[in-house]
Amino acid sequence: MTNAPVAADAVIRVADLKKYYGDVHAVDGVSFEVRAGEIFGLLGPNGAGKTTTVEILEGLREPDGGEVRVLGLDVAKNADRLKPRIGVSLQTAALYPKLTVIELIDLFRSFYPKSRPTAELIEALGLTERSKAQSKDLSGGQRQRLAVALSLVNDPELVFLDEPTTGLDPAARRALWTLIQELKAAGTSVLLTTHYMEEAEILCDRLAIMDHGKVLELGTVEELVSKHFKDRAVRFDPDEALDTALLESLPAVSSVHVDDTDALVFTRDVGATIGALLAGAEGRGVEPQNLSIRRASLEDVFLSLTGRALRD
Amino acid sequence: MTALWTLTVANIRSYTRDRAALFWTLAFPLIFIVMFGLIFQGGGESRLNLAWVDSDGSPQSAELRAALAAASGVNLEDYAEAEALKKMRIGEVDAVIVVPDGYGGQLEANTGSDTPGAAAVVRVYTDPSQQSLQGSVYQAVGSVLAVINMNDRPPLVMPQPETIQTENLNFISYFVPSMLGLSVMQVGIFAAIPLVADREKLILKRLAATPLRRWQLVGSNVLMRLLIALAQAVIIVAVGSIFFGVEITGSIALTALFVILGSVTFLALGYVIASFASTEDSANGMTSVVQFPMMFLSGTFFPIQAMPDALQAVARVIPLTYLADALRQVMVGGVPFATLGVCAGVLLGWLVVCFVIASRKFRWQ
Repeated sequence: MTNAPVAADAVIRVADLKKYYGDVHAVDGVSFEVRAGEIFGLLGPNGAGKTTTVEILEGLREPDGGEVRVLGLDVAKNADRLKPRIGVSLQTAALYPKLTVIELIDLFRSFYPKSRPTAELIEALGLTERSKAQSKDLSGGQRQRLAVALSLVNDPELVFLDEPTTGLDPAARRALWTLIQELKAAGTSVLLTTHYMEEAEILCDRLAIMDHGKVLELGTVEELVSKHFKDRAVRFDPDEALDTALLESLPAVSSVHVDDTDALVFTRDVGATIGALLAGAEGRGVEPQNLSIRRASLEDVFLSLTGRALRD
Repeated sequence: MTALWTLTVANIRSYTRDRAALFWTLAFPLIFIVMFGLIFQGGGESRLNLAWVDSDGSPQSAELRAALAAASGVNLEDYAEAEALKKMRIGEVDAVIVVPDGYGGQLEANTGSDTPGAAAVVRVYTDPSQQSLQGSVYQAVGSVLAVINMNDRPPLVMPQPETIQTENLNFISYFVPSMLGLSVMQVGIFAAIPLVADREKLILKRLAATPLRRWQLVGSNVLMRLLIALAQAVIIVAVGSIFFGVEITGSIALTALFVILGSVTFLALGYVIASFASTEDSANGMTSVVQFPMMFLSGTFFPIQAMPDALQAVARVIPLTYLADALRQVMVGGVPFATLGVCAGVLLGWLVVCFVIASRKFRWQ
């Protein structure tokens, strides 16, 4: 309606969203769209404003400015009509600790006019073996799956998953990824937040990179990477004597980033850069450890956008 | 309605699976009752202390006195009527027996007469709120009169029951309704702790993302606490009655009414606590700060009249004073500190004030 023209099939439209806490601009003019049937990611470090943004979309917080429409409804005015149609999983899974999996699902089902059968949800989320366990006795992965199950009881058109895999071990994380992909296959739109690059790369059709309450970049993973890096990345373990200026002077280098754990040299010509790098190292009597060459990744995009790495 | 009910069931499940909460709200008052009951019950079956008032002074009345004095387990002391009744009111004697003027003459006239007049009467004063004591007195008097009346039909002497309200309920009769009041308070204000915990764990926020309404959330909490308070009332009354012979002489409906009013009032106070406590720990602390002064200054353990003036002033303000007072009046005919209307009014006043504060200050997230 305002600003940019919008796609007809958008399930979420956010334009110039603002949320302030005193002087802190938690969300500072965020705009994006989520299309029906896609998995959209908000990627950023802790404190980037992802959760605040999502909670405004869920009707849990009032925005201080901007326009928010979810499933065609103005969230602030139509929260009651919206809530039966969306599913929500909060950042920390909030569950009654002393209720069992079955009891919790049945409880949440009773809040909605229509709901999926409990047994079906338990089966789909792989919780059959633990269906009679109290939620406090579940493992982290099981608890997250239960939280996702609770967000699906009403068979929602749109699901919000706030950091669904934070704190999970790799196996549990992968299991949840499969689940989210199945949701998409079933036609459900998903908005998820994450601070895992890998998760965003694997799951998200499109994503917005957020930092300090702003969207820095928006697009598919391919678009983001190719927009910022037509280059390859040469990586090795840095040592104390490493001279950044020297790296920058190597042939075909477009940019260099060195921190405690990684030395990254982005190059338009891998052969020329590596040759010069090895020759230079040999001349100084050192050898780059764990040398590798790869495509630029989302992580590299984040690094170049924010100047810092995105880590757990 | 479904959501209200399922959430109430969920609350009850969570509650009954929390051993600590169960202990504090259910076992704790029972332990108090049993403990104090055993301490104050003394050495089991005690003797009956009867005041004897002989307004007749005839040989027949002397004969009756001798018979009664000879009955086992009876102490008999002579008093003038006014003094005897006063002693009974302050609890120094258990009952008063009055032989009215003309007793001997009437008895003599009727003995062996073919056309006997009205039977002579002996007035027996008891306190109906102390049923077991009343029973013992009637039994003792009845057995003595039965000997006199043995061969005569219609009987020569009839006991005439009179009731008098005593100030000194025996301790356990005083204590059981007080303890019920205390438990009702605890069920109410302890609601603050799980409420704050649910907010801390973002359960309230998660619920806010569903179509569940806030009134359903609050309603389920009220329902659950009411059910617990009523269950507790049944348990406490049953224990008081079965183990210590404390009978509810008053109205069950009024008792239930005050339990409900008290529960809702203290639940509102619990919401006020939850409005100001940001963590479960601070809710715990604030609950104790509210709980202990109420416990000791509301006349639960000793009558308010026995407190120093400064503490009495506090007692006059706190809601538990009025709940416990109302319950004592309703359940065992306790001497009123305030009328039932005033008690209900004060509780309602607290309810309204707490409701207004909580509805303005309570944060859901």
